[in-house]
Amino acid sequence: MTAYIIRRLLQMIPTMLGVVLLLFVLFNWVGGDPAYILAGKNTGEAQIANIRHQLGIDRPAYVQIGIFIKQIVTADFGASWSTNEPVSDILKTRLGPSLTVMVPLMVLGTLLAIALSLIVARFRGSLTDRMVMVACTVGMSISILVYIIVFQYVFAYRLGWFPVQGWGDSLWKNLTTFAALPILIGLCVGLAPDLRLFRSFMLDEIDQDYVRTARAKGLSEARILWIHVLRNASIPIVTYVMAALPGLLVGAFLIERFFSIPGIGREVLLAVERSDFPVIKAITVYVAAATMLANLAADLIYKAVDPRVELK
Amino acid sequence: MVHYCVAKLTGKEKGLQKRLYSGGLKRGVALWFIAASALSCFSTAALSQDASKTAPLKVLRMAFSTAETGFDPPRVSDLYSNTINEAIFERLLTYDYLARPARLAPMTAVALPEITDGGKTYTFRLRHGIFFTPDPAFGGKPRELTAADYVYSFKRVLDPKIRSPWAFLLEGRIIGLDALAEAAKKTGKFDYDTEIEGLKASDRYTLQVRLSEPDYNFNYVAAHTPFSAMAREVVEKYGEDTMAHPIGTGPYVLKQWTRGARIVLEKNPDYRGMIWNFAASEEGDAELISEMQGKRLPLIDRVEISIIEEEQSAWLAFDRKELDFSGVGTFREKVFDEKGELKPEWRAQGVKLMRAIDPEVTYTFFNFRDPIVGGFEKEKLALRRAIIMAYNRDEEIDVIRKGQAIPATMPIPVGVVGHDPRYQPLNTYNPALANQLLDAFGFKKGKDGFRTMPNGAPLLLKYATGTTALERQFNELWKKAMDSISVRIAFQPGKFADLIKASMACQLQMWGSAWTADYPDGDNFMQLLYGPNIGQNNHGCYESKAFDAFYEASLKLPDSPERNRLFLEMTRQMEVDGAWVLGVSRERNMLIRPWVIGYKKHPILSATWIYLDIDPAKKP
Repeated sequence: MTAYIIRRLLQMIPTMLGVVLLLFVLFNWVGGDPAYILAGKNTGEAQIANIRHQLGIDRPAYVQIGIFIKQIVTADFGASWSTNEPVSDILKTRLGPSLTVMVPLMVLGTLLAIALSLIVARFRGSLTDRMVMVACTVGMSISILVYIIVFQYVFAYRLGWFPVQGWGDSLWKNLTTFAALPILIGLCVGLAPDLRLFRSFMLDEIDQDYVRTARAKGLSEARILWIHVLRNASIPIVTYVMAALPGLLVGAFLIERFFSIPGIGREVLLAVERSDFPVIKAITVYVAAATMLANLAADLIYKAVDPRVELK
Repeated sequence: MVHYCVAKLTGKEKGLQKRLYSGGLKRGVALWFIAASALSCFSTAALSQDASKTAPLKVLRMAFSTAETGFDPPRVSDLYSNTINEAIFERLLTYDYLARPARLAPMTAVALPEITDGGKTYTFRLRHGIFFTPDPAFGGKPRELTAADYVYSFKRVLDPKIRSPWAFLLEGRIIGLDALAEAAKKTGKFDYDTEIEGLKASDRYTLQVRLSEPDYNFNYVAAHTPFSAMAREVVEKYGEDTMAHPIGTGPYVLKQWTRGARIVLEKNPDYRGMIWNFAASEEGDAELISEMQGKRLPLIDRVEISIIEEEQSAWLAFDRKELDFSGVGTFREKVFDEKGELKPEWRAQGVKLMRAIDPEVTYTFFNFRDPIVGGFEKEKLALRRAIIMAYNRDEEIDVIRKGQAIPATMPIPVGVVGHDPRYQPLNTYNPALANQLLDAFGFKKGKDGFRTMPNGAPLLLKYATGTTALERQFNELWKKAMDSISVRIAFQPGKFADLIKASMACQLQMWGSAWTADYPDGDNFMQLLYGPNIGQNNHGCYESKAFDAFYEASLKLPDSPERNRLFLEMTRQMEVDGAWVLGVSRERNMLIRPWVIGYKKHPILSATWIYLDIDPAKKP
């Protein structure tokens, strides 16, 4: 197991180098020149040259890539080009609000989707099942933007159940007051596709021989579903959930923007608008690393869930 | 302090308190409640230590639509950071709150400067007894503002490490400063201790600025927020983190800052104060004067600013009375009736509407070095002027601007020195005349119905554009305009940074742009067409000897009828040459809750809450 983990960790190095190269190429050849954005509305070639020099983007590409790699190794991405705020501070302060919304959303969404998928799978083909699937299809067809605008208008503005926007300093207040509506919206948006997917996982299992055997042995339907079917369906569910985990780090762009939540998603948008490469670099690298680690964790969990799985 | 806290308990809390004292709750819960109450009281008390024990805090709640970048005046160029800096830091000069057009007034200077040596030497005398907000950088001692602080702050704008977007306002202007900046580029360190001829603190309270050329607009530089006084000790103590440590002498201090989310300013307890004393200059000022005259400023205790990027969120927050100010934006139909007046439901709430024209102009430039539209040959002049006459600006105002703009008649907008409302533009909307002009100069129609160049070469306009919905609307309008004169047009989308880069290199054929006044003088707009500014902000690469001669003559004159005449000559020249398609000046509509008193939109100042008051009796 240890050898397997070490091997997988070593395999991450070339992947990360690929990420570095791709990001560097995209930023330098596809993105705009940040010097022209930072220069302000009245500038000249001398000022542009000075800014490029100060930012270090007038250096040869291999030097810049070398600095980028050093930043990854030391986990020090310097300071934002536009605000001068250390990138580490940006990540520290923005991650909290994003996680305040995303963690409850992911936990609640997954649990709800599992529970509901088991129920509709149990009544496969029934009117309930069909109605739920139609509702899911309709729900998936509506843009998240519509959910945000309508929910904000109805629940926050009209009914006054939630604040229209805002964020505070207390975790509890943020969780119970400011994040409540964003989480509700996230649940409505995410539940439909999750439910459809998880239902298909359940249906793959529900016709298996072991289920028939369990029924023949007289086990209760609840035990069959919640213990046997769920355990066997958990591998694709784990894969799905683990793949979604790195998404926690980038937050929810639109939700954060509409509800003025100072999270990572909003910061990413700002960084892109400002061509703030240090911030873009740091977030991309952390998300890439988180994705690779989540994949590794998923493989390890497979083994825990299903002892027949061999890690090679 | 305890008395204050008890007085603030609500009915529900009092009930709970009673149950606690009567033993209705367990001791642990009781202790928790007492601790929480005490904590709450102390934090509330800490926030309100400047306020009277009985008077409620006067809190103004506003929203910014874009995140700020930081609070180091010469380093930032965005409106919202500048707004905060304007409240925290002080310039030598400022503007009269009510005077229109905007008029300069002393701020930390005793009076407007003495201008001698034919407009080349400015002598500012500072008020005595102005102090920076206490900060550890000052070692626990009061730190008085002196002329040396302005010498340092002006020099800092040209420090290459600062990368100040405002460097252009000092470059080539102050004797010796450019040489110092050049030396810094070579050595990597700006030598602030080297004295230069152009910036001297003659004594503790006298600043002398010597310019390399006569320049009667330097006062506007001295009134611009990026040229505020900063203390060298503070800058050196916080190094690269100056954005987060704004220590000034102004009426407000930064109390809380959650970057990109929330900014809280509080009244500076050490501020010297000032008296609201302004004379009326426009209709409607009398009411403001009757409400505010003689009050000691600032009156607002706390300004809470939320960064709300989405218009719907900001609008709903205002509608729910969570904000005291709001723009109208795309919610025009909810605000105005058919006559463009405030709807009765708003008037019933006491909401006030403040309308003002921004000191800005939008325009589309032609690249004078472009082989299709550039040059001064007669047929090129005809082509450009025909294009200008084909563009329907009234439709832009009605459809795209939703009526919230006025047509620009000169490059100098309304409310800016040099604008003449009597000026009659040459190239007004007239597609029929535009077609005749093109016919007369040999732009014949081909088989496909579109015109060609007089030599038979294809005529295709290339209009640079972004990718937003607003820009797509403009593209449609331009397509319609060019179809009306049978000229083919293509749109070239690009990123803003790339388009700026290309326009500075004279590589864009046509592009729409806008310019907002840095200072309310025609010079700030006319320099966009000055030949030597090609490669900077003369993006059309327009190089007219006649225009340049008028412009250079205007630089040597103070504000006067003679200089205004030169502005008109410049305007006529650029119209004859067809340099720009003049656009609009946008109208700003602000809705203000009834408890906010004294508001008038200023064309240059943005932190006008310094001049406001709040009437708590009118609050719900």
